[in-house]
Amino acid sequence: MMELSETYACVPSTERGRGILISGDSKSDTILYTNGRSVVMLDLNNPLKVSIYGEHAYPATVARYSPNGEWIASGDVSGTVRIWGAYNDHVLKKEFKVLAGRIDDLQWSADGLRIVASGDGKGKSLVRAFMWDSGSNVGEFDGHSRRVLSCAIKPTRPFRIVTCGEDFLVNFYEGPPFKFKLSSREHSNFVNCVRFAPDGSKFITVSSDKKGIIYDGKTCEKLGELSPEDGHKGSIYAVSWSPDGKQVITVSADKSAKVWDMSENGSGTLNTTLNCPGSSGGVDDMLVGCLWQNDHIVTVSLGGTISIFSASDLDKSPFQFSGHMKNVSSLAVLKGNTDYILSGSYDGLICKWMLGRGFSGKLQRTQNTQIKCFAAHEEEIVTSGYDNMISRISYKDDQCTNEEAIDIGNQPKDLSLAPLSPDLLLVTFESGVVFLRDGKVVSTINLGFTVTALAVTPDGTEAIVGGQDGKLHLYSVSGDSLTEEAVLEKHRGAISVIRYSPDLSMFASADLNREAVVWDRVSREMKLKNMLYHSARINCLAWSPNSSMVATGSLDTCVIVYEVDKPASSRMTIKGAHLGGVYGLGFADDSHVVSSGEDACIRVWSLTPQ
Amino acid sequence: MSFRSLSRPNARSGMGVADESKTTFHELQRKKTHRYVVFKIDESKNEVVVEKTGNPAESYDDFLASLPDNDCRYAVYDFDFVTSENCQKSKIFFFAWSPTTSHIRAKVLYSTSKDQFRRELHGIHYEIQATDPTEVDLEVLRERAN
Repeated sequence: MMELSETYACVPSTERGRGILISGDSKSDTILYTNGRSVVMLDLNNPLKVSIYGEHAYPATVARYSPNGEWIASGDVSGTVRIWGAYNDHVLKKEFKVLAGRIDDLQWSADGLRIVASGDGKGKSLVRAFMWDSGSNVGEFDGHSRRVLSCAIKPTRPFRIVTCGEDFLVNFYEGPPFKFKLSSREHSNFVNCVRFAPDGSKFITVSSDKKGIIYDGKTCEKLGELSPEDGHKGSIYAVSWSPDGKQVITVSADKSAKVWDMSENGSGTLNTTLNCPGSSGGVDDMLVGCLWQNDHIVTVSLGGTISIFSASDLDKSPFQFSGHMKNVSSLAVLKGNTDYILSGSYDGLICKWMLGRGFSGKLQRTQNTQIKCFAAHEEEIVTSGYDNMISRISYKDDQCTNEEAIDIGNQPKDLSLAPLSPDLLLVTFESGVVFLRDGKVVSTINLGFTVTALAVTPDGTEAIVGGQDGKLHLYSVSGDSLTEEAVLEKHRGAISVIRYSPDLSMFASADLNREAVVWDRVSREMKLKNMLYHSARINCLAWSPNSSMVATGSLDTCVIVYEVDKPASSRMTIKGAHLGGVYGLGFADDSHVVSSGEDACIRVWSLTPQ
Repeated sequence: MSFRSLSRPNARSGMGVADESKTTFHELQRKKTHRYVVFKIDESKNEVVVEKTGNPAESYDDFLASLPDNDCRYAVYDFDFVTSENCQKSKIFFFAWSPTTSHIRAKVLYSTSKDQFRRELHGIHYEIQATDPTEVDLEVLRERAN
């Protein structure tokens, strides 16, 4: 039996030049954001407590809790809004096709009966407001000609809706049924976000022209501005009111967040500027989203770092954590003084995680090349990407020291480290293998068949190369050359991954035809076959430290754990481990499996023996 | 309009069924002398003959072990189980075993002869067509039987 033990969540997906809108529920102190097709609910007090909703068919863009905290409405790029239960199984209540293009912002009215959605609609219907249970329209929203980036509903009577967008306009609608009242063109660039104060007396709009303008909530008259001295030096992407309505936080592309005091007459003066510590410089520190909830101020950076400040003590340094934004394509479990997990995603980000604690650090790399293959051992990481280079990174704590790139002349397809044989690294390319010792290419051997996967024993004496035709070629390594010892034929598809067991008595191979086989290394006979229970290609394979179990992860989102001594039919399956496919697998110890996948999350599963 | 074409059965091969096959099946069904029977097509005699039988003490895994990896077979298995209402029941499963790794000639032969052979066996409750070991998993039987 396999149970989910921990989830290391993904971070919100961000886009350069645009802000993101995150929201939350003050009663349960959770925040909501989206990444790919998933909507993530994260508990602010315990970031390890995560719940993920993956029912959207298209990438989700924004999600909001209803005022009573029971429902969540989420929108996606196809213009569909799904309303589902916030607890338990997230049962779907209703689904509406609201706009013709992507939904950029979504708001519930204070009584929880109406929802307004705004976004991109190819001309007509850029904004729509409808009843939450029937979907019937509650107003006509003309007045915008370009994408509407944000919308807000006045929380108190008389109800008003304000929308703002890429046409630099801020439009004001009265109702219900909502009709256009007036338009304001105070900004000179995209208006990124509009938010009403909790008491509905004022609302503020922020824009890429670095200004924030405050209006009266009932009449839409301009009251004042956020004071321009000490103002932001870059586009302001998002704004959030404090629960008492006296302060406002804004985040900007100038990498800072500012807290402003709101005066009664509607002008804002700077209170403090919050700078996020631990910045690496560079674009990733631009702040793109913010939320003020209870005592927490949450800011999200372009690189995905979430910082939680305490509102009562603004000088205290924030609790920061991060994660992956894209498909986590490789995983390595490293044991040392402390056991930790290294995960790499294809965009070049490597993160460190600790069991029980979660996010433990991001590896700061000097060259952010993309990662296709990844091997890690003690204090060294070797990665290969989509160019001809192999990167070797040695690191201590979180700092990468000594990063070097080696050109091997061909695009690497797979790589394997032999740590006990001094510094031997084998890399395969389309038609052969390259030997590297001490970071230098010592030989390139052309094998004559299309190579797809590789494994080498830790002492560097034996290597197995898998081919496109499904044949496994065993070689003994002598010096800098390979001598073919045997060819094993069983697989009916290109080999995708080969791994030696930790005790080196067996090895396991998996192919694109959904089959995995465990072989005895000495006799080269099949020890366990009929491991055909996946319904799509097998992406990754891992052995348990005591060599008694093998886990396979596949594109069909399942992880299956087999025991080598029992027949393949007595297996433990985890269905739906990662939306989109499982790409990385590892065993943290004999009873915990770590998996990572397309949904940018990493999950730890605990095995209870039957 | 002729409707004969709509009800035309699948291709037949004109295979015969040995008497021994029929009697062995009856023994499994009535007298419960076998847990399973594996049938093979004997091409020289052009008929379906009994290859192997298993005594009632043998398990499902023993039955699976007697199905070859690379050749087709027919089989019947007497499956004992307890229903959700706590009733002890026994159902007879017919297996058309045609693994993907077997020769195409064998697959065609066995599939064209199947209907003819099944017609001779009365009292089959469920039929399972299996092309690889995952399709003859015990779970599959449990799901089908009720």
